[in-house]
Amino acid sequence: MTNKLRDFSLQFKISSIYIVTNILVVMVNIFLIIGINSMSGRLDMVYQDNRHLNQFSDAVNALQSNMTDYLNVKTSDSLENYYRSESLCRNMASELNEEVTGQSFDRMERNIRHMTEGYLAEVAQTIEAKRGRNVEKYRFHYENATRMYDYICTYISNLNMEQFRSNSERYSELQKRFRLFEIVSVIAIVLVMFSNVCIIIGFVGALIRPLKKLAGQADEVAKGNFEIELLPVESQDEVGVVTGAFNSMVVSIGRYIERIRESMEAERALKERELLMEGHLKDARLKYLQAQINPHFLFNTLNAGAQLAMMEGADRTYDYIQKVAQFYRYNMKKSEETVTVADEVEMVDSYIYILNVRFAGDIHYEKHIDGSLLHTEMPGMILQPIVENCVNHGIREMGDRGVIRLSLYEKDGQVCISVKDNGVGMSAETIEKVLSGTYRDEDMASGGNGVGMDNVISRMRLFTGNEHVMTLKSEGEGMGTEVCLCLERYDREHKRNGGAAGEVSEGEKT
Amino acid sequence: MKIIRNEKQQHTENQAPERKFSGLTFLPVFLTAVSILFTVLMAGYILWFYKGSFQEETAGETYDRYYMMITREGKSVFWQSVYQGAYERALQENVYVDWLGNDRFQDYSVEEQMEIAIASGVDGIIVTASEEEAMTALIDRADMAGIPVVTLYGDNTQSARCSFVGVGSYNLGREYGRQALRIMRERLAGSADRPIRVTLLVNSYANSLDQNILYSGIQETIEQERGETAVELSLQSVDDTNAFSVEESVRDIFMGQEIPDILICLNELNTTCAYQAVVDYNKVGTVSILGHYVSDTILNAIDRSVIYATVDIDTAQMGAFCIDALQEYHDLGYTSQYFTADISLITKENVDEYLRGEELEYDE
Repeated sequence: MTNKLRDFSLQFKISSIYIVTNILVVMVNIFLIIGINSMSGRLDMVYQDNRHLNQFSDAVNALQSNMTDYLNVKTSDSLENYYRSESLCRNMASELNEEVTGQSFDRMERNIRHMTEGYLAEVAQTIEAKRGRNVEKYRFHYENATRMYDYICTYISNLNMEQFRSNSERYSELQKRFRLFEIVSVIAIVLVMFSNVCIIIGFVGALIRPLKKLAGQADEVAKGNFEIELLPVESQDEVGVVTGAFNSMVVSIGRYIERIRESMEAERALKERELLMEGHLKDARLKYLQAQINPHFLFNTLNAGAQLAMMEGADRTYDYIQKVAQFYRYNMKKSEETVTVADEVEMVDSYIYILNVRFAGDIHYEKHIDGSLLHTEMPGMILQPIVENCVNHGIREMGDRGVIRLSLYEKDGQVCISVKDNGVGMSAETIEKVLSGTYRDEDMASGGNGVGMDNVISRMRLFTGNEHVMTLKSEGEGMGTEVCLCLERYDREHKRNGGAAGEVSEGEKT
Repeated sequence: MKIIRNEKQQHTENQAPERKFSGLTFLPVFLTAVSILFTVLMAGYILWFYKGSFQEETAGETYDRYYMMITREGKSVFWQSVYQGAYERALQENVYVDWLGNDRFQDYSVEEQMEIAIASGVDGIIVTASEEEAMTALIDRADMAGIPVVTLYGDNTQSARCSFVGVGSYNLGREYGRQALRIMRERLAGSADRPIRVTLLVNSYANSLDQNILYSGIQETIEQERGETAVELSLQSVDDTNAFSVEESVRDIFMGQEIPDILICLNELNTTCAYQAVVDYNKVGTVSILGHYVSDTILNAIDRSVIYATVDIDTAQMGAFCIDALQEYHDLGYTSQYFTADISLITKENVDEYLRGEELEYDE
């Protein structure tokens, strides 16, 4: 029942309240009007009996005087008057009470009625005798009639007086009641008004309360506080609907904000990575540029040297100069983009060749290449700095005993590139320091063409997103060192790089 | 974590508002119910008001017959008691009896009241008649009109009245005679130098057989039992034709030369007047009164030995006899010619019982 009531619309509820209160007021007023009407009707009727009796008395008087008149003058006019008043008197007498009751009025009325009938008969006989000119007879009847007329008048005046007395009592009784009724009416109206006010305040308050709560919560939300309690939906009216909508809105907004924050965080991380990558690359290039001497001039010079060697038939010189030129061109060109493992391996080949020419073939260089993995992509300028490290720190002091072994193989679905030397080796602390980037060594930081190990490690980590992309192994002092890089397979690499490129380009757009 | 906490909060709070809501709706619903109830009560009150003022008019049941009682004196206790007896008996028979001479028609004579009663077409008339011819004519007229007439206390033997209700006048006379003799023996034994004067107060209208019978009853009793005592029995007429004339007539007796030794009164009014006159003229002890009927005044006077004795008539029985006679006449067409009411004597010996009885009645 209450639930059903709650589900009506707000308009219906408010209208109902006003209709109910108005109906109450109207009902009370109707009752009061009925009461007042009956009262005033009653007051009007109080002396009705007396009026009626007086009319009857008048009729009897008229009859008596008409009869006397006729006896006096015997005109047809007076006879006509007599007949008229006689029938009036008869009619009025027939309306009088005939029952014998406990009420003295009723009995008196009955007696008057009977006496009037007798009187009418007497009068009729008088008139009859007068018309028959029977003087003695009409005198006799006239006397009888007059005596009865006298009795009737006495009776009527008695009745009238008694009725008047009782009616006066009734009148004052009614008046008292009327006063009481007035007081009751005023109390009733005041009470109904008071209860109506209470009803309206109570119901409207109950209707408005959820709206107030909703307004409070909306205010909270407007101030930016989404951590509010959800309001219970108490009814299915407009307020209930708005509350429900507000609740789902608050929840949706919260969720949306959460999602935006998450995506912003992801974007920020991506951008950060991008910037780091770019920073390291720039760093590498800067260092490289700092290290190089005008490269175009160098290429042209080297090319000129190569042509000269070819013309002179010095093939080995030609090859050497050609390799040096290739090495520097690669440095210039490939250091800024992803390259294939094959490019890097070729770069290492050139580097070793140059070194062997420089140091008269001191370095033994071994390659174990799985040809199917050569298309694996990786950042440029990675393998050459590693090999350079091996040469500079590992086997520099070993003369012609130094061996560098480059392996490309597949292990556990990953492409592994291993650069191993048989040089001085590294202590565990040094390995730890190098990998964490805290190792500072003058030679290491700026060896060769200026790309340090930390730069290489950082770029590899950024590229793969894997902290452990590079491992350093050493059996100990003098036992050599192995640098191992693990990359994703070519096909996967390709996909991932494509996705990453997309994201990056999207990041750049925003 | 935060979300879970919120859900928990919501869960616990979902129940609380439910309770709160029912609490909040209760008040207005209660108020509505109260004011609707109030309106209904209001309507009920007004209906009661409306109905109540109607009902007061429709009271009173109807009666089968309607009798009218006409008496010569209106307000005496005697007649009121008679009327009360008749009235109560009439109600048992579903008959209403009105006392015409009670207050409204005091100014009319019995004959005129008879005329009114006949003209009113009542079902029966109870009248204190006299032996006058006019009364006879009226009773006959009533009889012609089909209205049975019972004469009460005063008879009209010549008329066509159906019955007479009264006291046995001869017996009453003998009782008065016996009491007079007793007074002579008790109070007037020594004063035998002149005849003892016994005066019977008769009403002037009562030139009737009843009083004659009563008188002869007294006379015979005194004659038979007076022995050597000389007794002078006389009739003194009291003028009761005008208002207040009775009192004057009674006082005239005491103004005269020969003040009676024993005064016999034949109605309540005469008794009271005589008693007052005896007191006023300082004749207590010299004039003995034999009264008629019982009233507070008379009883007190007996208690103080101003009135020697009074005759109490069973008035209620008298009234009831009237109704019985009329009812019987209506039902059977005839009835007993005479009804005699019981009489009893009240003297100083038994007056206490009556006084106590009166007191008891008042207490009730």
